[in-house]
Amino acid sequence: MSVTLLDIVWAAVGAVALVTAVSILGVSLVWLERKFLGRLQGRPGPNRVGPFGLLQPVADGIKLLWKEDVSPGPSAKVLFYVAPLLVFVPSFVVWLTIPFTRDLALRNLDTSVFFFVAFSTLSIVGVLLAGWSAASKYSVLGGFRAAAQLVSYEIPLIVIAITMVALAGSMSFVDIVEAQRTVPYIALVPLAAVLFFIAGLAEIGRTPFDIYLAESEVVGGPLVEYSGAHWAVFYLAEYGNTFLVGALTALLFLGGWSWPFGTLPAPAAVALFLTKSYFVTVLIFWVRGTYPRLRIDQMMSLGWKILIPLSFVTLVTVVVQRFYGWPSWTLTLMSLATLALAAWLQTRLQGAPARALAEKYRRDAVVVQAKPRLHREAPAAAKVEASS
Amino acid sequence: MIAGLKGFLTTIRWVFKRPVTANYPEEHLPVQPRYMGFPALLWDTTADEPFCTGCMVCVRECPTQCMSARMHDNPNFAAGTSHRRKIIEHFEINYNRCILCGICVDVCAFDAIEMTHEHELASYARNGARADLPILLSQGRRWMERSGWRPRNPEKNVAGVALAKRAPATAATKLDTGSGKAPSREDDA
Repeated sequence: MSVTLLDIVWAAVGAVALVTAVSILGVSLVWLERKFLGRLQGRPGPNRVGPFGLLQPVADGIKLLWKEDVSPGPSAKVLFYVAPLLVFVPSFVVWLTIPFTRDLALRNLDTSVFFFVAFSTLSIVGVLLAGWSAASKYSVLGGFRAAAQLVSYEIPLIVIAITMVALAGSMSFVDIVEAQRTVPYIALVPLAAVLFFIAGLAEIGRTPFDIYLAESEVVGGPLVEYSGAHWAVFYLAEYGNTFLVGALTALLFLGGWSWPFGTLPAPAAVALFLTKSYFVTVLIFWVRGTYPRLRIDQMMSLGWKILIPLSFVTLVTVVVQRFYGWPSWTLTLMSLATLALAAWLQTRLQGAPARALAEKYRRDAVVVQAKPRLHREAPAAAKVEASS
Repeated sequence: MIAGLKGFLTTIRWVFKRPVTANYPEEHLPVQPRYMGFPALLWDTTADEPFCTGCMVCVRECPTQCMSARMHDNPNFAAGTSHRRKIIEHFEINYNRCILCGICVDVCAFDAIEMTHEHELASYARNGARADLPILLSQGRRWMERSGWRPRNPEKNVAGVALAKRAPATAATKLDTGSGKAPSREDDA
């Protein structure tokens, strides 16, 4: 197979088109997140620039590009400026193999799940390098946290991806989606979908897991010292990754571009896939608007004590089901049984001692009688009842 | 786990409600009656001159020294239309310094200064945070119209009443300046 000039030109055109498309998707997410998060918190969200604030990301981008791009004096300059690319490039390279429909993928690899696993792991290097090269203690601490978190949550993410590969019998996203033509996998392995979503949240550092970016603890972690265009690159990579988790969840669990009512024409299929991806992405924003940040030990124990064992149990159940050729509804049953078992174990192992401790505190607590609050006009029913 | 899922309902409920934020430049939240904005000088309509005599007590008592004042002889006193021998000629408040403590209002013996609702006083001018006598008086007149302000001690301070008291022969021309009861801020609201 010889590579002609035309091939190279087409590859370049495809790469530019892909980066543009993913950038536009990412920029649309910036607006969507700010608007949705605002409404979740009772605010109107961006509404100054353009209709409904739609041009807000453009204004943000112009502001970031005009800013002075500074680096700290003692930083390792080359690594400092290479690190954003090490985060940005893998997150975009993964998009090479994401199929938007059956035929619309830049490279339709047979091993695209493996490709995704290999390249998504690379961004850890970029984050760690960004943390180290800035010569700032917050950056370094954030980088360490990032390394610990990303390595921990890589395991359940990959194990669940392997589970889906075992279920579909192929490492290609196209085949995995085709296998979900009648029943999406979320109906077969709901537990795996939840595990993948949680591990994906941790992998992209979204809010319950934004421990390595925590503003109140490490003031932005590895990104502390970045400004202007280089910070914008991190920002874009973050939103690209967010949408990637949405797209992967849609491909692996929600049936991608297929639905159970027959085959759709290509534009409708792409629209369906994007709708599913945006749905999962909005779910990510919803989680961000709802949950506070975990403590680092909570994050670690959730990853190692809950997600990893459960993901391996899921893998084993799927493999056993495939090996013995049991009907597929047994998978749903086993998935839900695993969840119930885990919840029961959790109650037995951690809930009971915690409840005993709470009971002890309740028994030993010194009851302080609250004084009646001062009101402008004293309410008639402000009688203090002596509690036993 | 159930509690964790209830949190999602709590947050999504807000999406279908109207945001509570007021879009500030277009939409102003109402100023509460008890709000204490910057002080302004009040206007004696019976003599068509300020209440302020320039006695400097507010300037001396101001903890941040944000005020300056200068008095001169009152031409209306010479003309017999006012009981004030001296009247304010120049008054300035530096809004950068004023801390809205209201001490100037408490110490004023002439009912001349009052805390108003003025608060949107931003300016592009470098020297824009200073209010001189005409500005303070126009703010004071606005405050009198809006709040229905009444003097605490009209016998002493309102020119029409004071003049009428000194010359009982002309008592028939006594002007109606409200009751002598000292109103509190809450009453104004």
